[in-house]
Amino acid sequence: MKLKYLISTCIAAVVSTSAAMADGFPERPINLIAPFNAGGGTDLLLRGLAPHFAEAIGSDAFVSNMAGGSGTVAASALQAQRPDGYQLAYMSITVSTIQPQIKAVPYGLDSWTPICSVAASPTLLFVSDDSPFQTAEDVVAAVKAEPGKYVYGSSGPGAMTHLTTVAAFAGLGILDDLKHLPFQGSGPAIKELTAGNIQFFGDTEVLMQRGDFRPLMVFNSERLENYPDVPTATEVGIAPPLNELYLWGGLFAPAGLEPEVTAKLEMACETAVASDGFRDFAANSGTVINYRGADEFNAFYRAQYESNAALIEAAGL
Amino acid sequence: MQRFANERVVVQFGLLILAVALYASTFQQSFSASDLAQSPMFFPRIILTLWIGLAVVALIQTVRTQETQSPIASWPRIGVVIVAALIYTNVIGSEGFFLPSVVFALICLPAFGVRNPLLVAVFAILVPGALVFLFNHTLGMPLPTSRFTYVF
Amino acid sequence: MLSALPEAIGILLSLEGLLVLVMGTVLGIVLGAMPGIGSTVAVAIVLPFTLTMGQAPAILLLLAVYAGSVYGGSIAAILINTPGTPQSAATCLDGYPMAQRGEAGLALGWATVASVVGGLVSAVVLIFAAPQLAAFALQFGPIETFALILLGMTCIVSVSTGSVVKGLMAGMIGIFLSTVGGDPILGEMRFTFGNWQLFAGFNLLAVVIGVFALSEVFIRASKPISRVSNLVAFSGIILPTWKMWKGRLRNLAKSVAIGNVIGVLPGTGAATAAFISYAEGRRSSPNREGFGKGEPDGIVSSEAANNAVTGGALVPTMALGIPGDAITAVMLATLTLHGITPGPKLVDDNPTLIAAIFAGFFVINILLLPLGMLLSRVAAPILRIREAFMMTAIVILCAVGIYFVRGNPFDLLVMGGAGFVGFLLRRQGVPMAPLVIGMVLGPTLELTLRQGLILTDGSFLAFFTGHPIALVLALAALLALSLPLLRSLLSRTAS
Repeated sequence: MKLKYLISTCIAAVVSTSAAMADGFPERPINLIAPFNAGGGTDLLLRGLAPHFAEAIGSDAFVSNMAGGSGTVAASALQAQRPDGYQLAYMSITVSTIQPQIKAVPYGLDSWTPICSVAASPTLLFVSDDSPFQTAEDVVAAVKAEPGKYVYGSSGPGAMTHLTTVAAFAGLGILDDLKHLPFQGSGPAIKELTAGNIQFFGDTEVLMQRGDFRPLMVFNSERLENYPDVPTATEVGIAPPLNELYLWGGLFAPAGLEPEVTAKLEMACETAVASDGFRDFAANSGTVINYRGADEFNAFYRAQYESNAALIEAAGL
Repeated sequence: MQRFANERVVVQFGLLILAVALYASTFQQSFSASDLAQSPMFFPRIILTLWIGLAVVALIQTVRTQETQSPIASWPRIGVVIVAALIYTNVIGSEGFFLPSVVFALICLPAFGVRNPLLVAVFAILVPGALVFLFNHTLGMPLPTSRFTYVF
Repeated sequence: MLSALPEAIGILLSLEGLLVLVMGTVLGIVLGAMPGIGSTVAVAIVLPFTLTMGQAPAILLLLAVYAGSVYGGSIAAILINTPGTPQSAATCLDGYPMAQRGEAGLALGWATVASVVGGLVSAVVLIFAAPQLAAFALQFGPIETFALILLGMTCIVSVSTGSVVKGLMAGMIGIFLSTVGGDPILGEMRFTFGNWQLFAGFNLLAVVIGVFALSEVFIRASKPISRVSNLVAFSGIILPTWKMWKGRLRNLAKSVAIGNVIGVLPGTGAATAAFISYAEGRRSSPNREGFGKGEPDGIVSSEAANNAVTGGALVPTMALGIPGDAITAVMLATLTLHGITPGPKLVDDNPTLIAAIFAGFFVINILLLPLGMLLSRVAAPILRIREAFMMTAIVILCAVGIYFVRGNPFDLLVMGGAGFVGFLLRRQGVPMAPLVIGMVLGPTLELTLRQGLILTDGSFLAFFTGHPIALVLALAALLALSLPLLRSLLSRTAS
C-alpha cells in the first residue's frame, strides 16, 4: 500500500515537472548528439556550433557521439527518448529522410520536432581529371555505345554519394547501363576514382577538392561561384525531382516537444548560426550555412521526405 | 556417460547447433539480388558451411580425447562474478554509470575475497565517482546518467 | 618538402610544440595502458582540445596521443593479458606468457625497443618516400586487396595455439560476427532478427575487449585466489642488451617492412599488420619453436609491425588525401577545420606543416622510450594492489572504454556477452586471437570479394588472370596454408 502511494507520488512529481518545464528551460546541460564517430564531418560541425549554441541558450551544451548503422542507431535511440529538449541530434538528409524509407528503423516522418536547419551543400557529379568525359553528353554517348562497361562508385548503399550518381544517371536515362561499386566511406572510393577502377563519383564541393577531379554537373538551383562553367543538372536536362540534391542537416528533437521549448531552441540556434564565431568556422571548413527556422524547416523536411522517395525508387533500394 | 555429458562436449555441440540454426535462418529471408554471388547471404553461407564442418571435426576430436580442463576453484565465486558482470553491463544504459558501478564493486570485491567493509565501500564509491567527475564534469563527454539526476 | 624541414623543426622546438608532444605522448601511453581503453577513446578525449589549437599543434597532439596509446596498449597486453586494441592482441600471445615466467620487465623492453624502431623507420620512410609509396597504394584495387586479405587470413593457422581446427572455427565465428548488420553492397539487413541495434552490427572493440579482457577476469575468478597479489612481478622496463638481439635482427627488419607496406594500403590497418607479421615470424624466425610460449621474437614481430603502420598510414593520408585508417581520418577532418584541403596538393601547398607533422612523428617515437620507461616505473606499484581491486577496476574501465567507442550502451551488452562466451570457449582450448583476426578482416574480405565480382562480371577466375599482384598474393596464401600441413604430414610419416 505504502509502495503504491510512493509510486503514484513519484509519477505525479514527474508529470508536474514536465508541465512546468518550459518556464525554466534550460536548467541543465543540453546534449547535442552527432550520429557518427568523433572526428567525422558531422561531429566537427556540431563541435563548431556547440559553444555558440551554449552561449545563446544560456546553459552548457556538449557534443556526444553515437555512431553506427549510417546514423540510424542514434536516431532510433533518440526517437524513444522523452521530448524534453535536452537531447537534440544533428541529422542529415540521409539519416532523417532516406534511411527510414529503406530500413525497418523504429522512426519515420512523424517522429521528430525539427528545430532548425544549419547547413546545406549541393552535390556534384565528377570524374577524374584525366577522364575523356568533358560533358554529360560525352557520358551518355560513351555509355550507350558500351553498356555495362563503366562503373560509378559510392560511399555505401543509400548514402548521399549513391543518390547523387543515381539522380544523375537516372535523369540521363542510362542508369541500367552502368555498374555500381559501393565502398565503405568516401576515402576509398576517391582512391579508386584516382586509380581508374571507377569512372564516376558524386559528392559535395569540399570533398571533390580532395583530388584532381573535374565536375560534370551540379545539383543546385544555379551554377556555383567556384565553377561558373559547370552546368546545373536542370541545364543538362534532368527533370525534377532529380535535378536538385543538397546534403543538408539540422537539429531535431523527438516529436511532441512543447512549442515554448521549441521556440527557445530555435532562437538559440538562429543566434548561434549567425554568430561571427560560427561563420568563421564555416568559412574555414567549407560548410555552406543554410539556416531555416522550426516551421520552415519542418515544411522543408516533409517535402524532402516525399521527393526523396523517387530517388530511392530509382536507386532500387 | 561422463564422456558425452561433460562441459567440453556440451560447448562444442552448442557451437555446432548454433551454426546450423544460423544457416537455416539464411533461408527465411528473401532478397532482391539478381545473381547468386551478389545475394546478401552468399558470403555468410560460405562462412557458416565452413563453421559447421569445423565444428563437426572439433566435436569428434573432443569426444575422442580425454583431456580435462582446469577445474573451477569456487562455483559460488565464478557464478557471482559472471552474473554480476552481465547484469552490470546490461543496466548501465538505463540506470546510468555511477550507481550500477558502485553496486557491482560492492558485489565483486567481496567475491574476490576482500573482507574489510570499509575498504570495499571506499573503493566502490571512489573509483566510479572519480570517473564520473572526470568524464561528466571535467571533460564534457558524459557517461550515462541515472534517472534521478543528470549529475551522475 | 625537405627544404621546409628547418622551419618545421623550429615549430617542434617551440614551447607549445614540445609541450604538445610530451603531454600527448604521456596521455596516450597512460590511457592506452588502461585495460579496455584504447586509441579510439584516447583520441576522442583530446579531440575537443585540438579545435582551439593551431594547425601543427593540433595534428601533433592527435599523433602523439595515437602513437602513445598504441604503445600503451602493449603494456596492458603483456602485464595483464588485456589488450586495449585489436592491434595488441598479437602481442599477448608471447608477451603474457613471458610475464608469467617472471620476465615482465624484459618483455616490455622487447616491446618498447621494437615499437620505437618500427615507428622511427616508418617515419624516415614517410619523410623520404611518401609520393612513391602513394603511387604503389594506387595499384591496390579491390581485387588486389582481396588477395592480400586472403593472405592475412592464413595467419589464423599460425596464431591457433593448441588446436588448429578450433582456431579455424574461431576464425569463422569471427568472420560470421562481422557479417551481422547491413550488407556492404546492397544495404540489406542480415541476421538482425528485427533488432535495430544490430543494424550497425557487432562492434569489433566490444567483442575484442569482451573475449580478451572481460573473459580474463572470469578466468581469474575461476582460479584459487591468493591473499597476496598474484599478478606479475614487475618493477620497470628492462631493455634487452645488444647481445640478446643476436639472431633476431632479421625478424625485426622484416616486421618493420611488413608494417610499413600494410600501413600504406588503405583499408587494412595495424591489427592486420601485427598478425601477418606474427605469422611470418612464426614461419621464418630461427626461434619459431618458442612462439606462443613467451618468445621475444613474437613480441618483436607484433610490436614492430603495428607501430610501423602508424607511419605507413600517414602516407596515403598526406600524399593523396585518403585516410589510411580511422585515426588518420580524424586528422584529415581536423585539417579541413583549419582551412586546409587534404588532397594531392597538400604537401606542395603546406610544406612546412607537413614537414612539421613528419618530423614530429619522428620525435614522438623517440619520446616513447624514455617516457615509457619513466611511466612504467611510476605505474609499477599499481600492479601490486590486490587482484580483487585490479579485476573490479578492469571491468569498470572496460565499460567506460567501450561506452565511448560509439556512445552506445548496446555495445556494453555485446561486451558482456562476448566475455561470457569467450570464457566458455577459452576453457575448451579455443584460441581467441583467430576470432579477432576473422572479425578484423571479415568485412574487407567480403566487400572486396563482391566488389571484385562486380568488376569482373561474376568471374572469380578473372581475379587472378588480369591482376598479377593478386595472383602472387593468392599463391603466397596457398603456400602459407599448405606448408605447415605438409610439414606435419612429413614429420608424421617420419615418426
